[in-house]
Amino acid sequence: MSDDDRDDARDDALPAPAPREVAARGAPPNLPRILGSVRPRARWLELRLLLVVAAGLVVGSVSLGATVRGRPADGVPLLDPEVWMPHDTVALGIYLGVLFAGHAAQVLAGRRSDQVLLPAVGLLGGISLLLMERLPQDRVGSGFFGAEGLGQVQLVWLVLALVVATTVAITVRSDSWLRRYKYTWAAAGIGLLLLTFAFGSDVGGQRLTLTIGPFSGQPSELLKVILVVFLAGYLSENRALLVEQDTKLGPLRLPPLPYLAPMAAMWAIALGIVVIQRDLGAALLFFGVFLLLLYAATARISLVVLGLAAFFAGSAILANLFSHIGTRIAIWIDPFADPLGAGYQVVQSLHAFARGGLLGMGFGNGLPLVGGRVPIPEVHTDFPLAALGEELGLIGVMAILGVYLVIIERGLRIAAAAADEFRGLLATGLALVVGIQAFIIAAGNLKLLPLTGVTLPFISYGGSSLLANGVVIGLLLAISDKGVEPPPPPRETGWRRFLRRRDP
Amino acid sequence: MDGFLLVLWLVRILFLALLYLFLFRVVRALMRDLRAASQSAIAELGRLLVLASPGDDPPAGAVFALDAITSLGRDVNNSIVVEDPFASAEHAVLTFRGRDWYLEDLGSTNGTYVNGNLVEGVAPLGFGDEIQIGQVRLRLERARR
Repeated sequence: MSDDDRDDARDDALPAPAPREVAARGAPPNLPRILGSVRPRARWLELRLLLVVAAGLVVGSVSLGATVRGRPADGVPLLDPEVWMPHDTVALGIYLGVLFAGHAAQVLAGRRSDQVLLPAVGLLGGISLLLMERLPQDRVGSGFFGAEGLGQVQLVWLVLALVVATTVAITVRSDSWLRRYKYTWAAAGIGLLLLTFAFGSDVGGQRLTLTIGPFSGQPSELLKVILVVFLAGYLSENRALLVEQDTKLGPLRLPPLPYLAPMAAMWAIALGIVVIQRDLGAALLFFGVFLLLLYAATARISLVVLGLAAFFAGSAILANLFSHIGTRIAIWIDPFADPLGAGYQVVQSLHAFARGGLLGMGFGNGLPLVGGRVPIPEVHTDFPLAALGEELGLIGVMAILGVYLVIIERGLRIAAAAADEFRGLLATGLALVVGIQAFIIAAGNLKLLPLTGVTLPFISYGGSSLLANGVVIGLLLAISDKGVEPPPPPRETGWRRFLRRRDP
Repeated sequence: MDGFLLVLWLVRILFLALLYLFLFRVVRALMRDLRAASQSAIAELGRLLVLASPGDDPPAGAVFALDAITSLGRDVNNSIVVEDPFASAEHAVLTFRGRDWYLEDLGSTNGTYVNGNLVEGVAPLGFGDEIQIGQVRLRLERARR
């Protein structure tokens, strides 16, 4: 980002249209070669930001530990190290170790990728770890590697997500496997969706979880990545045709009819998810990403307006046909109509935000137990923002939402600098999928939108969500690398390709 | 207020302050990055890379920085002179309007092709697309930052 970019900008200053041989873009010799041809490359900005993240997480853990252990016994000196120990030194140490190992791996591999994403995600993951350590541990059973309880299982998933992100960032050097097989990816995604429709198990009235052998997960988390890959491929190839206007519908001017078919298919899939899976959140997420990518590719607001109108019309009809959607909307409009029944979670969430106030009650001090249970039953998956709002206050929640904004900005910046349309749309979609998901669930917690069961990226408990978002960050890092393989030439579509002599 | 609660309160405030220190440092880095990008964006809107050129004028591998309007053809008054027997004197013009690139064929004898398709009138163009004029093939690329 910082030092590298200025070097590159200088050697790219071109004389006006005079032809120029492309100079070999050699790396400035700043570190010696090791590991054969790989030259390590320092990432100072990332290191500095990671140090701030580490300091913040240690202080947060100290705050949590002192609050949970409570007032020291009489006679213990005030600044005794025993009183001001982090809450769980081992877990925090493992997490920070993996975070810095991810940084070190990218330095050793000599990647010139984005340096802000890893610290931003590391901060959110660390806050997630502190929050899960502090909630009642009996919400989940045991996980892999002998992990017991919410905090340890979440630690395992966080570590795996960071490993996945770093591995994808370092090993993916070419995007042709995403670009060329977009219809294969789409078929795999639809297959996954149908499998969930057919064999998914119902949890809390929503058919979200698919269990295959010993593995169980939420396919919609993986599906969102596949959807972005497919849309980026489809829209980058057909952009020119979508911009054309030859279908007129009243005042709206639309692309040729055959190219509207995929949009109709997307609309049907989104509504199908609502009806069969009863998953309003995933439908909202998929359709929102679809419309925003369509707008990014074509700059035509009429398509977005039409899509939104179709989605709201479909949802309005479904809300009258199916009671569970109608209930969600009734809760959203007035949760206090039934504060102990249907509206219970949302009411408790609003109370939690209110108790937090401006500065919060401090880590470990919020969420008073009611009859041995936290007031919000699904706090670790659906309401982590409410818990953070109570413990860190408005100030803390604003900072966390700010970190999501930073992730979106980085994604859009990577898209703006991408070498071609496909990579640009892919980066846009990956950033927006994280951003929209965070918005949907944060707005649900705050009663700005109807509450839906999507996770808060990088903070909510859950393996599928963390691993899928790890893949998203890994891909963004891989695309942003300046040394990534140049995009392949576009596929020729005209008949003249049959006459073309192959270049040597 | 006793000492323990006071120190604990300070630790909590310190945690929030560190969150904002992180955001401040990130935003400062982002602003620097955006400023550098906006300065270099003035220099060129895009670039044309010559992929294949049998006559070697322009040579294969050459890179042209693009302005908003770039004319292509065999005549020496074009911004990019394509010295190819199958190119017309005023062959095509490449323009950047708003946010998009367009390629217009100026009634050339042998036509202009985008990704192998004959251009009729004006064709929208994206980064990564290939243009063919005569036997010369060029690729539109994003300006390097």
